[in-house]
Amino acid sequence: MVLTPAQRLLRAIAAWAVVLLFAFPIYYWITVSLKLGRDIFAIPPKIFNFEASAKSYEEVFGISLGFEQGIAVLPGGGDFYMAPRLMDSIVIAVCSTALAVVIATLAAYALSRMRFRGQHHFVFWILSTRMMPPVAVAIPMFFIYKDFGLLDTYSGVVLVHALMNMPLAVLLLKSFFDDIPKEIDEAALIDGASRFLVFRKLVLPMAMGGIAATAVLCFIFSWTEFLFALTLTQTGLKTVPVVSSTFVTSTGTAWGNMAALGTAAMLPAFVFILLVQKNLVRGLTLGSVKQ
Amino acid sequence: MRDSDRKLYLASVTDRYVRGELSRRNFLRDASKLGLGAGALGLTASMPFGARGGLFNTAAAAEIVPDADMMAWLKDVAKPFAGQTIRLATESTPPSNAINQHLKPFFEEATGINVEIEVLPLEQVLQKLTLDVASGLGTYDLYYLDQSWMASFSGDVIDPREKYAANSALAMPNYNFDDFLVPLVDGISMYEDTMVGVPYDIPIFIYMYRKDVYDELGLKVATTMDEFLANAQAIQKAKGPDIYGTTGQMKSGHYSLECDWTAWLWGHGGSIFGPDSKFSGNDDAGLEAMEYWVKLKENMPPGVTSWTWDGQGQSVGQGIAGQVLSWGEFFPSWDNPESSRVSGLMEAAVPPAPNALRTVEQTGFGEIPGVGHQGGSSLAVSKYSKSEDAAWLFAQWATSADTQVFITTLGGGTGPTRTSVYDDARVKANAKPGIPGTTRHLDVVRDTIDNHMGSEPDLPEWAELANDTIPVELGRFFAGEYDSPKAAMDSIADKVDKIVAG
Repeated sequence: MVLTPAQRLLRAIAAWAVVLLFAFPIYYWITVSLKLGRDIFAIPPKIFNFEASAKSYEEVFGISLGFEQGIAVLPGGGDFYMAPRLMDSIVIAVCSTALAVVIATLAAYALSRMRFRGQHHFVFWILSTRMMPPVAVAIPMFFIYKDFGLLDTYSGVVLVHALMNMPLAVLLLKSFFDDIPKEIDEAALIDGASRFLVFRKLVLPMAMGGIAATAVLCFIFSWTEFLFALTLTQTGLKTVPVVSSTFVTSTGTAWGNMAALGTAAMLPAFVFILLVQKNLVRGLTLGSVKQ
Repeated sequence: MRDSDRKLYLASVTDRYVRGELSRRNFLRDASKLGLGAGALGLTASMPFGARGGLFNTAAAAEIVPDADMMAWLKDVAKPFAGQTIRLATESTPPSNAINQHLKPFFEEATGINVEIEVLPLEQVLQKLTLDVASGLGTYDLYYLDQSWMASFSGDVIDPREKYAANSALAMPNYNFDDFLVPLVDGISMYEDTMVGVPYDIPIFIYMYRKDVYDELGLKVATTMDEFLANAQAIQKAKGPDIYGTTGQMKSGHYSLECDWTAWLWGHGGSIFGPDSKFSGNDDAGLEAMEYWVKLKENMPPGVTSWTWDGQGQSVGQGIAGQVLSWGEFFPSWDNPESSRVSGLMEAAVPPAPNALRTVEQTGFGEIPGVGHQGGSSLAVSKYSKSEDAAWLFAQWATSADTQVFITTLGGGTGPTRTSVYDDARVKANAKPGIPGTTRHLDVVRDTIDNHMGSEPDLPEWAELANDTIPVELGRFFAGEYDSPKAAMDSIADKVDKIVAG
C-alpha cells in the first residue's frame, strides 16, 4: 500500500505523539531530580522553566558537584549514598537473571523436546507457582534464611529472585523452543550428534532472541522487586526499590532525592536492554507467525 | 593554612585512610587539625566505592564537638563490647537521620561498637520489628517504637529505668531521667507500669500560620476552635483558591487521617474510648467534632483526601494554605528557602483551646485528650538482643542531652525530648527566621507538650485500629459512602468494639 504525503505526515505525527506520551513521564521524573524542593510541586507545574540543580544527586550519591549544601540532616540519614546500593542491585539482578536463564533454558528445552508421563501437569505446576502471592512465602522465607545464614546476603536474594523468575522463564523459553522445528534436532541426531550437542550447537543459537527477551524480563523483575528484597535484607545490602523507600520520611517524601536515585537506576536497566537489543527484537517477534 | 593547602592535605589524609594506610584514630586526629572533627569519618565511611579526594562534601562534618567527659566514659566502659555490632531499625526521622549521617561515627570511634541503622518507612519498621519479636531472633538490638505501638512491644523490651538501676557500671553519669519532659514520658514511653523505651523524638501538632496573610487580612491568632475555623473561612473567602483557608492530611486508610481526627475529637471534648473501654467517638462530642471537621474541610484544597503528611506539608510549603494545625516538624523545612515558598513567612503558636476537654479518667486505655496530638517515639533495647549492654550504651548516648543538642542544631527540626535541650544556648542560637533547621518554633513545641498534648490510647490492638480500621472508615465517610457523620461513627464503633473485644 502506497501512502500519500499527507498520510505519511499523519502517521509520523501519530508516531511522535505516542513516543512523547511514553517519554513524558520519564522526562518529568528526570526534571524532578534536577529541581529544587520549592519547584517540584509548584503550581502551575514547572515543566521547562525551572532552576536546574544537581543538589539531589549530590545528596543521593554523597558527592560534590559545586551546588553547596550546608550542615543538613538529609532523608535516609547516611543510607542516601546510593552508589553501593546501585551496585547491590546490579549484582543481584545480573546474577539472578543468569541463574534463572541458565536453569530455565535447560528445563525448557527438555520440556519442549522430551516426552514423559504427566508432562502437561508438570508444566501447569510450574505455572501454578506463580499464582502464590509472594507475601505468603516472604515470612517463612525469612525464618528459613535466618537458619541457613542466608539473611542479608547476596546469595540469598539472588536465589529467591532466580526462583521467582524461574517459572516465567521456563514457560517463555519453552514456547520459543517449540517454535524451532524438531526436524532440525532429528536430522542432527540421525547424523550422530548427541542431544546436548544438538542443544548447544543448533537449537541454542536459534533461540538466542528468545533467551534475550526472557533475560530482559527476568532482569527487570529482579531490578524492581521489593518485598523479598525488603524482608530478606537488613543493613548489609539493599536494592534500589528498598532504599528508595527511605526517602519517605516522617516529615514528607524527598521527591528530588527519590527522582535522582530513580533516574540513576534507569541507566543500568537501559544499558542491559541496549546490549541485548538486537536479539530482543528478534525474540519478541519470534513465534508471532505460526507455521 | 591556606584553603588550597587545606584541601590538598585533606585529600591526602583521606586517600591514605581509604587505602588502609591510616587508622581511624589517626585519620580523625588529622582531620580534626583541619577543623573537620570525626564527622569526616562518617562521610568517608559512607562514600560510594570509598572516598575520592576533592569530590566529597565536607561542610556537614564541621563543628560537631561532643561532650568530652561523656565520650571518655563511653570509651572506658565500652571496652568489653568493642567489635560488637548492634542494629537499629527506624523510621526515617530527623533524629535517626542525624545520628546515622553525622553523629554515629563519634560513638563508634569512642566505643569500638559498630552501629548499623536500617532506615525505613514507618509501616515497614513495624513489619520488621513484628517479625523480630515474633521470632525472638534478636536480629535487631534496638527498636524505634512509635507511641502507638507501646502496648504491642511492651513485653519484648528491657525497661530502661530498671536497666539503669540494675547495672551501675553501665549507667551513664548525669543521664538524668528526670530531664525528660514529664508528659512525654507518660505519653510516649509508658505502658502501664513499664517504661518501654526512652523518649526519642516528639513530632507534635502545633498551630502554624502565614503571618503575611494574617497581617493582610487583619486576623488574630485563634485561641478557640471556633476562631480557628473563622480564620480559615476568612482566608478562603479573601484569598481562595490561590490560598486555601487551611489544609489537611486526610488520605483514606492512612494513619495521618486518624491523627487529624483525634485533634478535632479531643478539641471538642470527645475521646476515642470511654471509661468503659468502648469506642466513644460516636457520642455527642464526637459528632460535634465531625461537623466541625466537615466545615473546616470546605476550606481545604481539594486534594487533601489523597494526602498524607507529605501532601499536607507540601501544600503549606507551596504557599497554598494560610494556616494549619499539624506536625511541628514541618516548621524548619518551611523556613528553608530552597524547599519552600514561604520561607520566613510562617509563625507558630500553641493549638487553639478545646471547647471542652475530658480527663484521663473519663477516657479508656490511658488516652490523654489534648489538641496537640503527639506522634512521638521511643528508643528501646530488645530483650532478644545478643548485645544488650552495647545496645544500652548506644541508647543512652543517642538520647543524652548532648546528642539531642546536636540532633536539634543539625537542622532536623524535631522537638527534643529533654528539658535542658530546649534551654541550651546552641539550640537557641538557631532560633532565626528564614534559615534551614530553624529552632524558632521550639518554644511553642515545648509549651504544647507541657500544656496541650494529646496522646492516643495504649492497647495492643491500637496499631491495627489507628492504621487501618479507623482511617479506612473515615476515608469512606469523606468519600461520601456514609449518609451522615453519625452513620460513619456508629460503623467505626461497631468495628472497633469487636476488635477490642477480641
